[in-house]
Amino acid sequence: MNKVLIKNGTLILPQSNRTIEADVLIDDGVIVQIEPGINDGKAERINASGYLVGPGLINLHVHFREPGEEKKEDLFSGSRAAVKGGFTSVLCMPNTRPPIDSPLLISCFLSRAREVGLVNVFSAAAISLGLEGKAMTDVGLLKNAGAKALSDDGKCVKDSRLLYRLMTYSRYFHIPIILHEEDIDIAGEGQVNEGSVAVKLGYRSLPKAAEDSMIARDLVLAQSTGATVHFTHLSTALSVKLIEWFQNQGAKVAADVTPHHLLLDDQSIIQYGSRAKVKPPLRDQTDIVALKEGIQRGVIRILASDHAPHANEDKEGDFNEAAFGISNLEIAVPLYVKALIEDEIINWLDFWKLLSFNPAQFLGLTKKGSLETGMDADITILDPDTHHEVKVNEFVSKGKNCPFDGWQLKGWPVATIVNGKIMMRHS
Amino acid sequence: MKWKHKHLLGIDQLSGEEIRILLEKGNQYREWLEQSPKQLTRLSGYYLINLFFEASTRTRVSFEMAGKLLGMEVVNFTNELSSLNKGESFRDTVRTLARMKVDALVIRHRSSGIPIYISQFLPFHIINAGDGMREHPTQALLDLLTMERDGIDFTRNTVAIIGDILHSRVARSLSIGLKKLGSQVIFSGPPTLIPKGIEVLEGQVVYPVEEAIRQADVVYLLRIQKERQEAGFFPSAKEYASFFGLKEKPKDPDGRWKKIMHPGPVNRGLEIDSSLVEEENSLIEEQVSCGLAIRMAVLETLILGGANG
Repeated sequence: MNKVLIKNGTLILPQSNRTIEADVLIDDGVIVQIEPGINDGKAERINASGYLVGPGLINLHVHFREPGEEKKEDLFSGSRAAVKGGFTSVLCMPNTRPPIDSPLLISCFLSRAREVGLVNVFSAAAISLGLEGKAMTDVGLLKNAGAKALSDDGKCVKDSRLLYRLMTYSRYFHIPIILHEEDIDIAGEGQVNEGSVAVKLGYRSLPKAAEDSMIARDLVLAQSTGATVHFTHLSTALSVKLIEWFQNQGAKVAADVTPHHLLLDDQSIIQYGSRAKVKPPLRDQTDIVALKEGIQRGVIRILASDHAPHANEDKEGDFNEAAFGISNLEIAVPLYVKALIEDEIINWLDFWKLLSFNPAQFLGLTKKGSLETGMDADITILDPDTHHEVKVNEFVSKGKNCPFDGWQLKGWPVATIVNGKIMMRHS
Repeated sequence: MKWKHKHLLGIDQLSGEEIRILLEKGNQYREWLEQSPKQLTRLSGYYLINLFFEASTRTRVSFEMAGKLLGMEVVNFTNELSSLNKGESFRDTVRTLARMKVDALVIRHRSSGIPIYISQFLPFHIINAGDGMREHPTQALLDLLTMERDGIDFTRNTVAIIGDILHSRVARSLSIGLKKLGSQVIFSGPPTLIPKGIEVLEGQVVYPVEEAIRQADVVYLLRIQKERQEAGFFPSAKEYASFFGLKEKPKDPDGRWKKIMHPGPVNRGLEIDSSLVEEENSLIEEQVSCGLAIRMAVLETLILGGANG
């Protein structure tokens, strides 16, 4: 059956800033009709009464670990986690083994993702060959092969000249740059945020200055070159201020934030241990407040979860040896609901802008991110009210490295429709 | 008309009318080059030094031939022979040359501004054969002569200069010359190689390259040097050829082929597809012949002061 009819939902229309009560008819992967009282005997029906229906959610920052680290995650397990988590599209980071740094590799990767076919998988390509931070990749050829953005995620681009040239050069191809910011000379072997927790537990620290100083440098470079630059997994109050200042000067810069940087501070390390060990590190309450304000002020325009699955053995044992990262793809939506909706930082329209409309615009996905006729039938349906407990052992992701086990959350996805197909549906 | 310039240091110093005088004389020499044997005596007894501090074959040989065809004695002085390698300062080397009592000096140097500097204290005619990233006036003149002889009306002409504008003295001199004759100039290439401040050359920057070519009557490709890739201005030769190189014969909507030019030496398969170099709409080889003719015109005009010869 090609037709799907979503009945009686509350529709979130981020493109026109409206919420309406209506039905949605999907035919052959495209949204064909939006109005109240649609009837179609041939369509599969979803009763969305009491639910929110919006354009499919897009996660701008995930690690599916393929190729090379399939024991942590692969395209199949990652795609299943995405669908379960209400995401219809994901952007995979290119720090795989080998890294996605050539047109051939990205073509292979995207073709593998299409074979899996559960969710729209997009990929960023590396900024530098081998993520070595020395020589620029073939930006134009990579874009033609399907790259949607450029990033050396996991590593900071240390070489200012490389980044300056890349920002200038990438303008020609209209491809955005996503930056993981961390001055590695300052960060060194640091494990947790600089401050009382690091002192108390005796762990080496990751100072905020490591992140802020690189963001400051790259804001200058972005302003000077006119490049579109996006700072991922923002964590500090100062970085919000810096970005806002440059936005006001006309720089094409913005940022995203993860759910864990909005919900946990560095005190969580005491409780959760290495499950809360992540880069950038969990910071202070003042940073959390500033990040939330940054969302309200439009400095942070995208919510991206930095889903970073690891095998248990990567996280167990010696804290100092444990991998950085949190697996969160299937609970990112209710986590954001807890951090932002429950605290009335944003409303549901804002929520869908941050998780669908804005990332679609950023990636140049013209058929996604809006709920209107003619668009791709990527749709996420959420139950805004019912609480469920997070059970990490039920994750379909291979990564069980998650500090949120046992949390009671609401705002869970109840159906995920990808290109007109119902990929996930709770009865 | 009396020629008022002692030196040829840059296109910038010439008026449109002066450029036309050189083009007219260059055109006569270009016709004359078709005959054999060729020997003129207009400048016999005059001495020319070719002083090249930077590798060059075509420009040096072109000046040497131009001088000899006019009857001059030509001495070549290249970097390898220079006393600079023995520790002599550049200024002392040039002052030593000054005592040789020659009549004209052709100089190429990797530093912008050297011809103007030495013209301040050398007693003979200085001809700039390329200084750093600043000027290459005889290249611009030969390009203009090639276009004019191909029937191009400068007042209704747009030239797209494509490639490494940032480091190119050819792009600077040519665009200045074209503007003085009334042409439109557009620039395109990797944004890393299009300098900020390019407005001073009065050309428009047009992206992408395909659009620049579409708007142009003449497509002028610049040579890409390998070290630009090493310095990170673009990622690879393959990528450059894919997006910034000329891959097919450029054509007007009305079916007319656009002309292709290049200062040489050509990197086949990089800035231009190999098949296009000798293609009938390519003026690249004719540029070489016009180069010889225009250098004869320049030598004669400077030394004889523009008296009709």
